[in-house]
Amino acid sequence: MNKNYIFLTILAVVIGLGILIMPETKHDNQIKPVDLLIAIDDPSRFLSTDVITDRLVKKDPTLLLIDVRTASQFNSFSIPGAINIPLDSILARSTAEIMGNKDLDKVFYSNADVTSDQAWIINKRLGYKAIYVLQGGVNKWFNTIVINEIPADTEPVEIIELYQFRKGACQYFFGNNETGSVKESNAAPKKAVVITKKATGASAGGGC
Amino acid sequence: MTGPLIPMGVIPETWNNVIALIIGIGFGFALEASGFSSSRKIMGTFFGYDFVVLRVFFTAAITAMSGIIYFDFMGWMDASMLYINPYYVSSAITGGLVMGAGFALGGFCPGTSFCGVAIGKIDAMIFSAGLFVGIFIFSEIYPLFEKMYNSGNLGGAMIYDMLGLSKGVFAFLLIIVAIGMFYAATFVEKKVKKVDY
Repeated sequence: MNKNYIFLTILAVVIGLGILIMPETKHDNQIKPVDLLIAIDDPSRFLSTDVITDRLVKKDPTLLLIDVRTASQFNSFSIPGAINIPLDSILARSTAEIMGNKDLDKVFYSNADVTSDQAWIINKRLGYKAIYVLQGGVNKWFNTIVINEIPADTEPVEIIELYQFRKGACQYFFGNNETGSVKESNAAPKKAVVITKKATGASAGGGC
Repeated sequence: MTGPLIPMGVIPETWNNVIALIIGIGFGFALEASGFSSSRKIMGTFFGYDFVVLRVFFTAAITAMSGIIYFDFMGWMDASMLYINPYYVSSAITGGLVMGAGFALGGFCPGTSFCGVAIGKIDAMIFSAGLFVGIFIFSEIYPLFEKMYNSGNLGGAMIYDMLGLSKGVFAFLLIIVAIGMFYAATFVEKKVKKVDY
């Protein structure tokens, strides 16, 4: 037997024994509490209903709306193009794949801000980037985009332009209905096309 | 690159392909230098006259494994940042069988076939052409397989978790098994009639 082989065998066994007695390294993948507090304090994590609507109308492929309400609430009414991940599935493996996609802006929404904010904090603590909360949730979206009151002629031009934009967006989503007459059944959620790119740091698999 | 240098921001992401190219050239060079561009050498594993493939890949596996565990322990790298390919049970088994059959039939795996092409081997060129034909056929009939292809996703599953062992115990056992296999392979090589190539 070649002496080199005996030496290499002993070396491998010693390395193996080292691994055997080594305490397992624990990784804490959460962000630091101070970073979380800074992020919570930063208002840029909120996106307004108008900004989201503008991006939806322009078919922005980097926008992913995530409805964190229950499946029954999602089925009865949701913002077109959204996908449903109820808050209790927010830590599921399939969710991690979506959250890890750096190319998508993930926007959580619920009825108001509370549930979506919880989803945001959980994902922020896990270190995911490009996550946002739809300010006011689906209620505000419905009240600003779907129900839009005609401004008086004496209003400033910005208000009138905003009204026109919202009315146009409403027609884009629900057809040429009269303001405020959208039935919930018209707004059946579309199945969103989710670009499931590999998670953070993904690369092609190895092999020989 | 699977990390951890790019996700940690030590190297900008734009360098990804450049680094991949350099590592790829190095890998190809090592394959060719160890004789992996010869289909006879690879076939030796199946017929028992040359176990170099087994030795190289097991050595690579235990070296990388030990390196990652030690580096992680020392705090030089964060192993949790490594990307782990998700484990799709049915497609991994089917793909493994198809790849193994192709391996035994052709005497190349995809990487070594390109090494063979690089040094002008005609059989390697035909093998590589077949590879692209296979990719084309698979892509065309993909809808038939789609359900099976995506089924049974266990995520970044770890074998030691599945076996209920700790990482250290499994790593130690793997090293012992690898050493055992190296000696067994040498024993078999001595018993089997030598093939001159």
